[in-house]
Amino acid sequence: MKPYFKVTRRTFLMGAAATAAACSRGPRLNIFNWSDYVAPDTISNFEREFGLRVRYGTYESIPEMLAKVMSGNSGWDVIFPSAEYIQPMRDMGLLAPMRHDWLPNLSALEDQFQRPPWDPNLDWCVPYMHGVTGIVYQTNLTWTPRAWSDLWDARLTGKLTMLDDPPEVFAACLKTLGDSLNSSDPAELRAAQQRAIAQKPLVRAYLNAEVRDQLVAGDVAVAQAWAVTSAQAIAAAPGKLAFAFPSDGFPRYADTVAILRESGRLEAAHNFIDYLLRPRVAAAIVQTTRTATCNGAARAMLPEDLRADPVLFPAAGILARGEWFAPQSAASQRLRDRLWTEIKT
Amino acid sequence: MKLRNAFLAPTAILMAVTMLAPLAIILVYSFLTRGAYGGVEAPSTIENYTRLWDPVYATIIIRSLWIAAAATALCLILGFPLALFIARSGARKNLYLGLVILPFWTSFLIRTYAWMFILRDTGIVNSVLQSLGVIREPLPLLYNSGAVILGLVYGFLPFMVLPLYATLERLDPSLLEAAADLGARPWDTLVRVILPLCAPGIRAGAILTFVPCLGTYLTSDLLGGSKTVLIGNLVQNQFTASRDWPFGAALSLALMAIAIGLLFSVRRRGEELL
Amino acid sequence: MKTRRGLALYALGAYAFLHVPLLILAVFSFNSSRFAVWQGFSLQWYRAVADDSNLIESSVNSLIIAITATAVATVLGTLAAYGLWKRASSWLSGSLYLSLVTPEIVTGVSLLALFQWIFRFLHLRLGMHTVILAHVGFSLAYVVVVVLARLRNFDRSLEEAALDLGATEFETFWRVTLPYLGPAIAAAAMLAFTVSIDDYVITSLVAGVDSQTLPMVIYAMARRGVNPALNAVSTLIVFGLGVLVLLSERLRRA
Repeated sequence: MKPYFKVTRRTFLMGAAATAAACSRGPRLNIFNWSDYVAPDTISNFEREFGLRVRYGTYESIPEMLAKVMSGNSGWDVIFPSAEYIQPMRDMGLLAPMRHDWLPNLSALEDQFQRPPWDPNLDWCVPYMHGVTGIVYQTNLTWTPRAWSDLWDARLTGKLTMLDDPPEVFAACLKTLGDSLNSSDPAELRAAQQRAIAQKPLVRAYLNAEVRDQLVAGDVAVAQAWAVTSAQAIAAAPGKLAFAFPSDGFPRYADTVAILRESGRLEAAHNFIDYLLRPRVAAAIVQTTRTATCNGAARAMLPEDLRADPVLFPAAGILARGEWFAPQSAASQRLRDRLWTEIKT
Repeated sequence: MKLRNAFLAPTAILMAVTMLAPLAIILVYSFLTRGAYGGVEAPSTIENYTRLWDPVYATIIIRSLWIAAAATALCLILGFPLALFIARSGARKNLYLGLVILPFWTSFLIRTYAWMFILRDTGIVNSVLQSLGVIREPLPLLYNSGAVILGLVYGFLPFMVLPLYATLERLDPSLLEAAADLGARPWDTLVRVILPLCAPGIRAGAILTFVPCLGTYLTSDLLGGSKTVLIGNLVQNQFTASRDWPFGAALSLALMAIAIGLLFSVRRRGEELL
Repeated sequence: MKTRRGLALYALGAYAFLHVPLLILAVFSFNSSRFAVWQGFSLQWYRAVADDSNLIESSVNSLIIAITATAVATVLGTLAAYGLWKRASSWLSGSLYLSLVTPEIVTGVSLLALFQWIFRFLHLRLGMHTVILAHVGFSLAYVVVVVLARLRNFDRSLEEAALDLGATEFETFWRVTLPYLGPAIAAAAMLAFTVSIDDYVITSLVAGVDSQTLPMVIYAMARRGVNPALNAVSTLIVFGLGVLVLLSERLRRA
């Protein structure tokens, strides 16, 4: 009996010592990003060059990120919010202002992203990657999905996935009804909700980036997916998958990088963002993530197959069918959240 | 008595902090209004409770009850013969008991993941069936209520077997001999002698299985594919994606009320709580 | 006897049901392909696990949390069980019982609400301390149940005899009752340790930036689909825990 007490006391002390040791090494930078959104050596190269230790956490959806960050003392320094959340987060006092004097590489951004609609002076964020949401499908299907309305086809039962993201699902439903995907009109939203509920029996699961492996494995035939996920899946299973820009309209999104106001490491955070803006670094990231970078200088450095990839950098005519996500008013947000709960039920 | 009070004090404080205070806060939150992006705001309301009567949520509650009941019933049916076997196995009792408990010691999450691995379209079951020519297209075994029930049974079977074994072990064999002497066939002996004597064990096992199944979150999340929404998932959803803490609080309390109501309804007078 | 043979056959099937899924996981952790078709032996997934610093760090976190929480919960829980055995306290028993029957998700969100509310006044954040506090909270009830069960079989007259012979209350506890409780305390500690190291739901809600645990990493991997590296992790954990259980059995019998 006595030995048990000794063991627990000793191991406890050892554990405490280990924790203390871990705490004393620094300085740290805590970065919270989407999964699979940097190259394998991006972080380690940054750590080495600036002498910092990075804690790199990932999330699969914006609600997941917001839930952690909203309290105002989550412990994270750098986050990657989607563009339409910049204004609400700024209004909630969550973001720290960007200091352009600490971001010499800001000029590397493409022109359209130097003055983006959601943050014209880039006071709060720096655009990182952009893309669209569309339909990715197996090429061996007997028919080709071309529009969102095709995702209501009964032939897809059990082999269709939709994104586990309320704005995205609403966007697809609203588009099939011919409405704007940023609609805050209760009648339109309810009609969209009915469409989503009608589709549920066909849906295998609501998955975000997780669907990539299932697409590659062939478990899923058609998926509503971000361009990011689609390009990665297509590259992993050459010839077996294809991407379609829905003919009834589609969302355009941009992911940005921002600093949380609670962060006490503003300079290190800016160093990281500036590091990401370096054309060489950004180009290396794109090689891994296969996403459309907002960095014009980096885009010019990409190899031919990426630079001309029709999924990542489609023709302007196609992009004109897209609609940027815009922030929602509080009342509209409440309604959407409530309708989403009912859809998921 | 001073010693006894000193011994109880730390635990009492911890229980107050980690159990009672949080529940009190949840109770208060359930009467407040949600903030635009999460959190709570001042205006007090009972809307969160009236919302519970909405048929949409009644569906979830009923679905959760039925899945928990199905899983418990299956655990009972599958676990009883196993417990009987162990109780009668004589010298090797501890070994067989250990073999039941061993999976319990491994991670619940891993055991749930094991079924994800086995049931998926390109998993073992489908691969084998396809290679044997039994089916041509893979069966959608995952992401439905059946998979969730299977996962729950797999996870909680030891919880059922242990109490059953405990009562079966104490069964007086002379009673069984008496029944046989009186001409009862094995089946009659089972139904009319063994089962009634095992009632306490069955009750204990059923409670130990049903209550956690009712509040399950992981199993329905991983095996139900976010289409099989149960109470546990709904509560979690309110605190993350839907950002409706007050409603989540009301749901949590409703869930607890159901669980505790069930427990008290099967309690016998004089039985101690712990 | 026919029924005996039938029962034994059934038991075989039941044991297969319990153990085969884990064996399948283990077997395919050595598969060189990602899919459920055997394509050759490979240790690549184990190498991937060893290279994953996230996994290693979260495993260390899990161990630190589990060991600390187990130590605290076992000591406090044993004392509490003894106190309850001496004289019942319905409100303490009630709250411990409540702790056992409250669904994990409810415990998790209510603790999160408590912490967020407290943090408005104290400038703290979620982290290892909140996780450890939460783990001690839900482990206490398990420890009390196990130790109390053993105490109910204890002969009170032994304590009375000690007191009659002049021992203080504490001496009586320390030298008469506590040795008797040894096996129960060990079992309770093992139970608390297992519950803590396996917890996902509560931990994920109250963890901070620095306190990602192994179940959280496993869950994130599982949500992203089947991943043979996860098979490798699972096999390692099952193997590790199995060894731990066997060791404790040896120690108990020794």
